[in-house]
Amino acid sequence: MIQLVFYVFATVLVASAAMVISARNPVHSVLFLILGFFNAAGLFLIAGAEFLAMILVIVYVGAVAVLFLFVVMMLDIDFTKMREGLQRYAPFGAAVGCVLFAELVMAGLHWVTSPVTPAPITGGLGEPGGPMTNTSALGTLIYTHYILLFQLCGLILLVAMIGAITLTLREKPTGRRQIIGKQHDRMRADTLEMLDLPLGNGTNANGGFLRPPGSYYDTAVPGSYGIPPSDSRASENGEGVPK
Amino acid sequence: MNSAIAQIGLGPFLTVSAALLVLGVFGIFLNRKNIIIIMMSMELILLSANLNFVAFSGALGDLSGQVMVLFTLTIAAAEAAIGLAILTVYFRNRGSIQVDDVATMKG
Amino acid sequence: MNWILGLPELVLAVSALVILAAGVLQKKDEAFLPCAMLSIAAFVVTGFLVVRAPDGIAYNGMLVVDAFSRFIKVLALIGGVAAIALSIGYSDGRRQLPFEMPVLVLFSTLGAMVMASSSNLMTLFVGLELSSLSIYILCAIERDRLGAAEAGLKYFILGSLASGLLLYGMSLVYGYAGTMDYAPIAAEINGTGVVPLGLMIGTVFIIVGLAFKLSAVPFHMWTPDVYQGAPTPVTAYMAGAPKFAAFALILRVMSGPFGAMSPRWQMLIEVIAALSMLFGSFAAIPQHNIKRLMAYSSIGHMGYAMMGLAAASPAGTTGTLVYLAAYLVMNAGTFGVIAAMRRRGHEVTGISDLAGLGRNNPGLALVLAICMFSMIGVPPMAGFFGKFMVFAAAWNAGLYPLVAVGAVSAVVGAFYYLRVVKVIYFDPAAAPFDKTAPSVSFVSVAMGLATVLFLIGLGPISTAAQAAAQALIGQG
Repeated sequence: MIQLVFYVFATVLVASAAMVISARNPVHSVLFLILGFFNAAGLFLIAGAEFLAMILVIVYVGAVAVLFLFVVMMLDIDFTKMREGLQRYAPFGAAVGCVLFAELVMAGLHWVTSPVTPAPITGGLGEPGGPMTNTSALGTLIYTHYILLFQLCGLILLVAMIGAITLTLREKPTGRRQIIGKQHDRMRADTLEMLDLPLGNGTNANGGFLRPPGSYYDTAVPGSYGIPPSDSRASENGEGVPK
Repeated sequence: MNSAIAQIGLGPFLTVSAALLVLGVFGIFLNRKNIIIIMMSMELILLSANLNFVAFSGALGDLSGQVMVLFTLTIAAAEAAIGLAILTVYFRNRGSIQVDDVATMKG
Repeated sequence: MNWILGLPELVLAVSALVILAAGVLQKKDEAFLPCAMLSIAAFVVTGFLVVRAPDGIAYNGMLVVDAFSRFIKVLALIGGVAAIALSIGYSDGRRQLPFEMPVLVLFSTLGAMVMASSSNLMTLFVGLELSSLSIYILCAIERDRLGAAEAGLKYFILGSLASGLLLYGMSLVYGYAGTMDYAPIAAEINGTGVVPLGLMIGTVFIIVGLAFKLSAVPFHMWTPDVYQGAPTPVTAYMAGAPKFAAFALILRVMSGPFGAMSPRWQMLIEVIAALSMLFGSFAAIPQHNIKRLMAYSSIGHMGYAMMGLAAASPAGTTGTLVYLAAYLVMNAGTFGVIAAMRRRGHEVTGISDLAGLGRNNPGLALVLAICMFSMIGVPPMAGFFGKFMVFAAAWNAGLYPLVAVGAVSAVVGAFYYLRVVKVIYFDPAAAPFDKTAPSVSFVSVAMGLATVLFLIGLGPISTAAQAAAQALIGQG
């Protein structure tokens, strides 16, 4: 029974991996990658790594594959140009690949483990009084035995964050920001003016605006709203007060 | 040894991961289309190594392989983020992500 | 747990975090200089701690501190300081590097230090990734320049392929040995006479992955483009610290866990060394760009340094380490001059742009000439001693064909290095360069002096290298 499950997962995994590299549309590739990760998680489960199986689904399908999808969509690529498929080196590459594969399979099918291995690191799993689950054993290990590597992995994630921000964040020069203090210090009289307009002669007759001229620029961070318009334009656009 | 691995044997696991490795390498070297596919091939290679680690870990009854996979998954996620950031930067400069275009420097 | 052994790494990590925070809190345009200064200070403090750190194994066998790791770490730290000093000069022009640059150099050097201290394949991989991921970003950090983005992309793709192969090799070794600590792996391989196919494949994958990081032929394709495209201080950094760390790994892994298999991999290393030396010499001849030239030169130098590894003897390891020390000073000196090559605020990198440097700026010209002679291996300079020691070790180990290949490529290499000297002193003068930034002058002059006066330091350096080689042989 377990064999059957294994072979189903394994077949789908390898097939979807093949589709990842041969699909013509990158979006399909990403979707096949996600399918592949799900099946790899199944294999992880069979091998007894429950926590990692869940992590694979959460981290990979939830974050990495979605990130790929996001980038594929964002870059707005012209897919019609990319319909060339694998090229002239494909037969040669396939031959080399087959040889490599055969060698690895040969090594795998006659796998030998060293006759003397050191005591396994189990994190207390399976021992009396030890943790009962794979997850808690892993947790015990990463916070004790492997604390150095755990911390270094944290630094790696920080580096990735720094990298993603440094490389892609663009602060728009026209981003509209206010000086919060000034905005708070404003009095009602600075911004609000009570008008007495004749009925049927509302804002439409005054250009659609009812605000003192240039009022944006009073509290704006210098330059962040662009260049303040000259007075004539301000009165043209912004003046809502009837003469 | 983990009972499921005992029934299936280590060989099939290693074969699956060998297949993933070969497909990943194949995807990198023969892809003439776009770089995102190359990055996905990289994920396949890492997945194949992870599958090896998990299978050996189950077979040996040793958790250090699984801890390694935990770290590798973290690192692979970081790598994907950085790779896609660099790709975005490249696309902004070049307007294309075709493999053939990544050759403005020669010599 | 003997955590004090990791103190230099902890200090470097914490200072990187503090500098990052300090940089974020400052105004965007003013953040670079203080961050760079603080980073240099952090490097100096860490260097002091590295020298003072006691020997031992810490963190449950994850980290080992010995004479070898200390030697490599000091080299990596000096490389980091030089790169940051060059970046200060680089930012003087219109283009400004972001303040994240020194922070990423700190993180990358931290990864290199962890690699040098690794005593477990997991530490190796994590350190390697910390170092490489930072460098991928550093390559592309001038994000508005196509060349930089392309360099980052190429380096990323080939670098992460190498990491993937390395990881796969590690998994096979783990499957054989049941552990990832170096010492038990060495004991197991020593214990059994036969080496199964799986273990052999795993070892080859590990060598391939590390050779990629070293840019040794046939895994060198990325080097020239990446060196050319990356910003000059980053190129200077890449030619230094990560190379030392990758060498540390290959020395440690090959003489430690896989030392007992040395007859099986020695041939592979010999071939890689010979190809690197030849390729580095011949492919450099038609180059017109000095940064590309340095890329080929570094491929060749890695080949020479690998000769010591191929000898698989303590003398060979000592020779490799002295070679790396010599390479550090002459390489940093050359990059100091390259960083000074600016006209009207723009960087120029053609070899022909150096024409007339001998008249316009005799100091820089002298430094460059010294470094070029040192790279050839002319006697009083640093490069001579390194070359002499690796050649002697390879000769004593009976690797005569390798020595012959090395001699041929040294002669061919002399041709292109001398061509640079000829351009500096005898070609009709081009327009002078801009005024050189003080930090750049300092780096080039200091490294030029170190190259000339290497003889004075040779005693302590070779003693340290011998102690390092002893520590390395002792671990297996």
